[in-house]
Amino acid sequence: MSRVRALLAKDLADLRQNPGVFVPAVLTSCIALALPFIVAIVVPAVFGEGLADSGDLDLAREMYRTRPAARALDADGAIQAWVFERFLVLLALSPVAASMSVAAYSVIGEKQARTLEPLLATPITTVELVAAKVLASFVPALTLAAAVFGCYLAGIQVFARPGVARTLLAPQPLAVMLLLTPLASLASLQLAVCASARANDARSAQQIGSLIVLPLGGLLVLQLMGAFELTAMTLMAMAIGLAALNAALMWISVVVFDRESILTRWK
Amino acid sequence: MLSATRLGRRFGNRVAVDDLSLEIARGEIVALLGPNGAGKTTTLRLLSGLIAPSSGTIRIDGHPLDARRAAGMRSRVGFLPEAPGLWERLTVRQNLVTYARLYGLRSPSSAVDASLALFDLRDRAGDSCVQLSKGLKQRVALARTLLHDPEVVLLDEPTSGLDPESAREVRRLVVRLRDERRAVLISTHNLDEVERVADRVAVLEKRLIAIDTPEALRSRLFGRRVRIELRADLARYAAALQAQGAEVRVLEHGMSIAVDDAAAMSASALVKMLVSLGAEVEAVVPEEPSLEEVYLSLLRDQRSDTA
Repeated sequence: MSRVRALLAKDLADLRQNPGVFVPAVLTSCIALALPFIVAIVVPAVFGEGLADSGDLDLAREMYRTRPAARALDADGAIQAWVFERFLVLLALSPVAASMSVAAYSVIGEKQARTLEPLLATPITTVELVAAKVLASFVPALTLAAAVFGCYLAGIQVFARPGVARTLLAPQPLAVMLLLTPLASLASLQLAVCASARANDARSAQQIGSLIVLPLGGLLVLQLMGAFELTAMTLMAMAIGLAALNAALMWISVVVFDRESILTRWK
Repeated sequence: MLSATRLGRRFGNRVAVDDLSLEIARGEIVALLGPNGAGKTTTLRLLSGLIAPSSGTIRIDGHPLDARRAAGMRSRVGFLPEAPGLWERLTVRQNLVTYARLYGLRSPSSAVDASLALFDLRDRAGDSCVQLSKGLKQRVALARTLLHDPEVVLLDEPTSGLDPESAREVRRLVVRLRDERRAVLISTHNLDEVERVADRVAVLEKRLIAIDTPEALRSRLFGRRVRIELRADLARYAAALQAQGAEVRVLEHGMSIAVDDAAAMSASALVKMLVSLGAEVEAVVPEEPSLEEVYLSLLRDQRSDTA
């Protein structure tokens, strides 16, 4: 464990010296943050039409039924709450984007900088090395996710109807941010680290790691279409599935991390 | 201290190292010579536990270095790869502290302080490695290699690409390793460096061609010879010596003669013989072939044997 901490501390120190690596992630997060506000606040304001006037009263009714905190809201507020809750999945994608390049570059970067050989000459085991590399991208991902969620709540508090922000502090929305987002990020980053240990360049690893974005994106679209509802049961099933996927990915990462092949065959 | 027995390593069908056996004692520096692709780096990686042998065994102080024990045994070995391999955005101290922790040292900070002092790096401890010259980077890499006080030190071309002053500094540090009773294996193409630091020389071309002290290799390949310079009639005196059975090569200003101290062809007997023939001897100089000649001769012999 001390070796994991040592390598993690080194990677985080290295990232602090290279903040530019997070610029794409910050941009992605800003876009993800802006979109729901555009849909729920800007567009109705520009067209002078409240959300409740657009015939989406069913959404308000659904919120009154499923979220006790929404019952204190008027129809516009309830629909805003519905929109802001659905877009939480989009926010979950931001931390993935934040750390994908870090994870994808984790092993290939060491190899390209010729720092991997002395590192592998230490007593560090493959499990420790992989764990440190995954954590080194996971920690910034979580930090960014927390920051984005904080900004999201603050923005809703300021721009949306009073009381809308409180609906996002219900168990289900919180489970999306506190359970689903970290697990999905971890799976994605593990996939990227795993690919980084096998692929020949960071771009390939990044593309493979990004695969996890596709199901999350699909989830967002299905929710907005009303074809899928994130209930407590579906959330739990997804969390269990992602936890199992993470365990499997950790095992696969360790198995595919072939020290000899990385040292002797990579150019 | 370090021993390899019948060590072999294949990559697919390609043989990188074959049937290599060597031992390195404490306080000994062995230089590993060989052409590019001869298997020097593979040998160092095998001995450091970075890669596993296809055949043969490695022992450190009698303990086998196998896949099960490799992680633990790596803490007894200091391996300096060909490139310094420093994390460039981090400072010298951050680099060393990370390695001190990876090696599980009890007090990483004080171990790093001691290392910085030992390698005269205290005033550069806060500099990021990207700011350092190549020589300084190599010095930091050496400090990293020795941070955990390894008994076995493996150095892959430690002076490659360094300016003469930096190379000399590195050589001085390598010699200090012998004084500290460490077993040192150094891979290099620099034969002058080998002359200066190595106790024994191992010549490798996938297989170990020869391993001995530089003097013994010279003697084995070329025998002992002296160069005798004469004032005149070089050809006549050379012919006279050849008639006596001496093995003589005529040079521009003298002759090179094989010497055998145990027989009539000792250097003093040859001089006496020449003087008795009326020759005016101007100089008698022991002839010592360069290590380069020895090395090239060994490779030539090996290749002609293989052909």
